[in-house]
Amino acid sequence: MFLYALRRAATGLVLAVLVTLITYLLLSLSFDDIVRGRLGPAATPESVRAMKTDLGLDRPVLVQYFDWLSHAVRGDFGISYFTSEPVGPAVASRLGVTMSIVVVALIATIVVGVALGVLAATRGGAVDRLAQSASLTGYLLPNLLIAIVLVVVLAINLKLLPATGYTPVTENPARWAASIAIPVIALVVSAVASLTAQVRGSMIDELRRDYVRTLRTRGIRTRSVVLRHALRNAAGPALTVLSFEFIGMLGGALVIETVFALPGFGTYAFDASLQGDVPIIMGVTVFAVLMVVSVNLAVDLVNGWLNPKARVH
Amino acid sequence: MRIRSTGRRRALTALAAAAVVATASCGAPGGRSSADAATLSLAVQGAPNSFDPAQLVDGTQSYVWSAVYDSLLMVDNEGELKPNAAESWNHSDDGKTLTLKLRQGMTFSSGDPVTSAAVKATLERTMATPGPNRFRLAAVETVETPDERTIVLRLKEPDGALTHALATTVGVIGDPKTLDTERTALDPVGSGPYVLDDSTVNGSKYVLKKRDDHWNAKAYPFETVEIRVIKDRTATVNALQSGALNAASVEVAHVDRLRSAGFDTKFIEAEAVGTLSLADRDGEVLKPLGDERVRRAINMAFDRDKIVQQLLHGAGEPTRQLFNPKGDAYDPALEKAYSYDPATAKKLLAEAGYADGFAVHMPSLFFTKPFEPTITQSLGEIGIEVTWDPTPPQNSVSAIASEKYGMFVMVEGFNATPVEVQDYLAPDGPKNVFDSTDPELEELLDRVNAEQDPAKAAELYRRINAFTVENAWSAPIFYSGRHWVTGDGVEFLGDGSNTFPTVRAFGVSG
Repeated sequence: MFLYALRRAATGLVLAVLVTLITYLLLSLSFDDIVRGRLGPAATPESVRAMKTDLGLDRPVLVQYFDWLSHAVRGDFGISYFTSEPVGPAVASRLGVTMSIVVVALIATIVVGVALGVLAATRGGAVDRLAQSASLTGYLLPNLLIAIVLVVVLAINLKLLPATGYTPVTENPARWAASIAIPVIALVVSAVASLTAQVRGSMIDELRRDYVRTLRTRGIRTRSVVLRHALRNAAGPALTVLSFEFIGMLGGALVIETVFALPGFGTYAFDASLQGDVPIIMGVTVFAVLMVVSVNLAVDLVNGWLNPKARVH
Repeated sequence: MRIRSTGRRRALTALAAAAVVATASCGAPGGRSSADAATLSLAVQGAPNSFDPAQLVDGTQSYVWSAVYDSLLMVDNEGELKPNAAESWNHSDDGKTLTLKLRQGMTFSSGDPVTSAAVKATLERTMATPGPNRFRLAAVETVETPDERTIVLRLKEPDGALTHALATTVGVIGDPKTLDTERTALDPVGSGPYVLDDSTVNGSKYVLKKRDDHWNAKAYPFETVEIRVIKDRTATVNALQSGALNAASVEVAHVDRLRSAGFDTKFIEAEAVGTLSLADRDGEVLKPLGDERVRRAINMAFDRDKIVQQLLHGAGEPTRQLFNPKGDAYDPALEKAYSYDPATAKKLLAEAGYADGFAVHMPSLFFTKPFEPTITQSLGEIGIEVTWDPTPPQNSVSAIASEKYGMFVMVEGFNATPVEVQDYLAPDGPKNVFDSTDPELEELLDRVNAEQDPAKAAELYRRINAFTVENAWSAPIFYSGRHWVTGDGVEFLGDGSNTFPTVRAFGVSG
């Protein structure tokens, strides 16, 4: 297991190097345009040359890339072309904003989604129909709309929560919670909806299996049958759904960050690519690749822990 | 979760959003700003670039850096050039020497005195460093400092835009001790009325604290200025209504809602010009543009009133001129030129030998998108067939500068008129892409650069403007305006005369 994790991590690193290399090569096609963009309309061929020399862009592309790589592995991602802000700390702080929303949203999704799904599958009847219609409604409501309604009601009219902005948890935990509340709810609703549907479906399948009947005939309590045995087997497909939801949330965070003016990872990456801010684009790429790789690895490991059949040796 | 954007969901969102907005406009309980009047909380749409004096950029980012740095001169809210860090300035009779006298007793936020040596160091550094403003000092030959308070700029030739340039980017004074250190880009040492506070979050929130020991502290009523970067226009409105902001510019669609919520609103009729630049006036890459009749015909192809009504939702004015209507070059009489007349336009094209029209490529840039269908249609009516070449945002500047496109759309924020004349019309002006020149224009430019009398200079600027309209050097279409919204205790003082974004444009009301 440990070796497997190590191998996957190594693959992730190789992938990161390949992706950043390709990114760099693609960016290198517009270096002249980017430098001109920074110099503005007054750029002259002479000043473009001078600035390219300043930025080290006059060297062969591969030399530039390996120079970047050798700094990056030491944690030095350079400074932004446009703001001169060091990229490493900037990415870390912006990732902190996005992750605090996405991780809280993910935890909330798991708790609510699993609870609702299990409840719907075991109780049936009115509870099931209620959970199903709630899930369908949640799935149909665009999260942007939910965000707008919550802002108007909770932030503008009742003034309970801030409408925009972010307070770091280290600065004031209560204000941090308030600043992420609406974004989290906006992200959670449809994620809960799809997870509930998934958990409900696989729970019903599991509860009809022979082993459940066997367990029941042995006199094992229903609670234990449901939670220890059926849920464990139903969790596999739900976990896969959850990992997609997580990656999707990172994308959805871009919209949420824009609507709530949060200084997050998505907007940072987006703005940098509009400007062609090479060091930021490279830094963001590294973190994004590593994040996707580690989420997938984590899902595989948890899956293996849940289901011995899925374990890799 | 994915943001699903199929047509149906989008329609649903739009419908529901409209409903929400409608309820909000009647339901908001007098959403007056709760922000303290001693604090100005202002929203800007984009994060500032580096604060290094050699890399400063005009635009809304100057709210931050113009508060941290003192500039030698300044333009007040009425558009007048005024003393600032330099208490006086004068030109020699031949216009080739500019002498500035620094105020006494100014200090940097570090406590060090501001001397002529600091001015010289900053100017010479900007002149030697590749950056967006270096060309504004192109006329400067040497910077001399005969004493601690006097700066003498010796010029290669008279430059009518130099004093206005010294009121903005290239006029800032950096602290020579820290200019070349890392902090200059993010947290510079200046002698301005404010310093950046530690609570600043780069790219998101800039907190400025007033320096009570600044020589002009009483001119700045706000103890704290918070500048928040909010890209989304709806988020700006939400922040205003929830009390997180007390000043911002908003879109026309939001104005009524905010006014009824108790905010003050002020409309600046013109703060940018939208123009179809007919840059290739010698017909180098687009032969037809070399013919004045073709350029005049293009000017007649646009129904400017309709464009302002429909594309700008009335938040602007139709125009035939490039320059700020509050500036010296503007002449209301020129607005009579080029009424919408496709038939005459076609006739002019036929006279020029283009009875069947011609085809043209233009770069499709992020700000041209809303105007492309209208421009395609208007030019199509007179026989000019437009193809828009998709251009990535980071290539906008180079696409225009590449001389690949004979004509292109620009939406440009105003600058001071002397600076604009230099940018658009001087043979080496950055917005004169094909280095167009003309003997008549060149003579006018030489005269205005050497002119010391403001009234005579204003007359010359009007004649220069008339030249560009009569010779159809461009096809200006609209002036776009800006709606300012301010909360309790804050007032927007500008009227569009000063085009330079600065916190001086905000005052305390009531």
